[in-house]
Amino acid sequence: MFKKILIANRGEISVRIIKACREMGISTVAVFSEADRNSLHVFSADEALCIGPAPAIESYLNIDRILEAANKTGAEAIHPGYGFLAENADFVKRCEEEGIVFIGPNSKAMQLVGDKVRSRQTMEKAGIPIIPGMKRIPSAMAEYAAEAQRIGFPVMIKASAGGGGKGMRIVHSEKDLGAGLEAGQREAKSAFGDESVYLEKYIEEPRHVEFQVLADNHGHVVHLFERECSIQRRHQKIVEESPSQALDPELRAKMGDTAKKVIEVSGYNNAGTVEFLLDKNKNFFFLEVNARLQVEHPVTEFITGIDLVHQQIAIASGEKLTFSQGELKQKGHAIECRIYAEDPKNNFLPSAGKVHFLKEPSGPGVRHDSGIYSGCDIPIFYDPILAKLIVWAENRHVAQKRMISALDDYVILGIQTTIGFLKDVIAHPKFQAGETTTSFIEKYFAQWGGKEKTEEARLIAALASAFDSQSKSSGPRIVTDGDVVPSPWQTLGKWRLGGGN
Amino acid sequence: MLCLRRGRHSGNGASGEGTEVDYEFLIDDVLKKITLDKKEGRFLVKDEESTYEADIQYISPGIISILIGQKSFRVYVVKDNGKRYVYFQGQHFTVQEPADESGSAHAGVEGSQEDKLVVKAPMPGKIIKVYVKEKEEVRKNQTLAIVEAMKMENEIKSSIDGFVKKIHVAEGDLVGSEMPLIELENIE
Repeated sequence: MFKKILIANRGEISVRIIKACREMGISTVAVFSEADRNSLHVFSADEALCIGPAPAIESYLNIDRILEAANKTGAEAIHPGYGFLAENADFVKRCEEEGIVFIGPNSKAMQLVGDKVRSRQTMEKAGIPIIPGMKRIPSAMAEYAAEAQRIGFPVMIKASAGGGGKGMRIVHSEKDLGAGLEAGQREAKSAFGDESVYLEKYIEEPRHVEFQVLADNHGHVVHLFERECSIQRRHQKIVEESPSQALDPELRAKMGDTAKKVIEVSGYNNAGTVEFLLDKNKNFFFLEVNARLQVEHPVTEFITGIDLVHQQIAIASGEKLTFSQGELKQKGHAIECRIYAEDPKNNFLPSAGKVHFLKEPSGPGVRHDSGIYSGCDIPIFYDPILAKLIVWAENRHVAQKRMISALDDYVILGIQTTIGFLKDVIAHPKFQAGETTTSFIEKYFAQWGGKEKTEEARLIAALASAFDSQSKSSGPRIVTDGDVVPSPWQTLGKWRLGGGN
Repeated sequence: MLCLRRGRHSGNGASGEGTEVDYEFLIDDVLKKITLDKKEGRFLVKDEESTYEADIQYISPGIISILIGQKSFRVYVVKDNGKRYVYFQGQHFTVQEPADESGSAHAGVEGSQEDKLVVKAPMPGKIIKVYVKEKEEVRKNQTLAIVEAMKMENEIKSSIDGFVKKIHVAEGDLVGSEMPLIELENIE
């Protein structure tokens, strides 16, 4: 087992990994940018090194500086977290060359699953279901019609240089194909300067269902069941849960076996996630492999009782998996909400600034993975994720109630966050009914303004403010605008040491 | 006896028990007036509609417990730059003390005109792109600049048909929230 691990990341995931290392008796090295000197991960670790200026490209993405830090501190392994260098095959290769263990898949597998076209071909050859689509851009318009017939309507027109929904169009029948193609090409041309488009099967009412997989270096592969992550905003997952309401035991077993096969044909090791789209008729299609620890991994940890970061580290150090597929069971229900520094009432604008006050929710079955504290600054340079709130309960209904209660109990003052928005998402009748598809937010939350404030609520706010403004005589308060925090000996008034008034 | 330091309030009691204090707050830009009267450790609270009896206690810094009848409220309050951020039962409030009466109405009118002509940063971030030059003619909804924060780009658009009077920022600059970026001028 390793004695020292460097965590090449920041924020909540860095803190999460540091905690796992501590539990395993492994010493930790944090790296930080100049903007992160006072971030939580820096003082959670045993050692911390500055690796460059605030922009990620000069720090958290700077391979040389990170390897230098590992060599300087004698770290034997690097955990990349998610994002930044986590799926960078060059970084994995550099680690391999320098004799530092990368806690994740080998560079060859990383390269394969990172190349969408090549991995799709590999999967198709292995008999893994993929979304039917065209293999190349045709030279003549007539070819599109024949391809559309082969794939079957409805089809989706996609820009080959595309992304972000631009140039995308759904066509339901052959008579609309010509006009759709023309419009798609025009849009693609103006958005990407390249008018080539291709056709793909349009998946109706899709759910995003992914399988967590662990593969050791000795050929053992297990899956740890699914997570459903259909609740997305701008193609970003915001709520995840397990089990999925769309799977029965038979389909679960089939998808799980397929996920394991994907991992095997990719020559993949360590923790990974196989993503699928599931259509309304319960057909599933391989999307891609996420070659890293996922943001939503705690959901799986709750329902399986397996600590995925411990497993990642054990696998990377060469240990064998200590459990078989048959020993893994799903227990109860888990839901995760991602807490972002965004203003849901103002088109989800990023909200950097100071967290003046944080109160973390707690209680039975409540887990808070956080990268923030009262008084910390949220810099503008990085992803807006602040923390994750995860709950577990014996069934989905209770888990949902528990999440709402925990979100109510979760206070972040000073910046805008998505807490209130998420509470309404979880409380929505369609979520309650398990009717979750990737268009859920678009459909039910296109306009969201929170609930109307009552006169009674304003009275309480005014009352608290009035009371607080008398605080010198009435009690302690948090002061952040440069005033000196009153000493308890001034504010406690009548109290005396040892009691006895 | 209350010891008062801040806030727009006026005491009308002479001394001892029964000192009434008036407060005016802008709560999310809605004006709310209340009167507090401390009696035997409890408060009589009056607003436009009724009078309540309240028991108000500090629990710890930033946390206040309010009992009105049997109703219990745990309220979180922090103060920053003259604003109070208040939270309870899933609701956030931004509470400010109103500006001086003499200037406030006037400033309001000027502010709204100025708001249109001075394009401000909607959030703290970095200027990625400035699309216009000084003296250039712009149309309503034309993209003037892009501000990036937390890996998200936000287009800053013109709210009027007019001219660019002055540009305050350059590409690569870091800006704070509400910082003026570009000044516009109406077509004469």
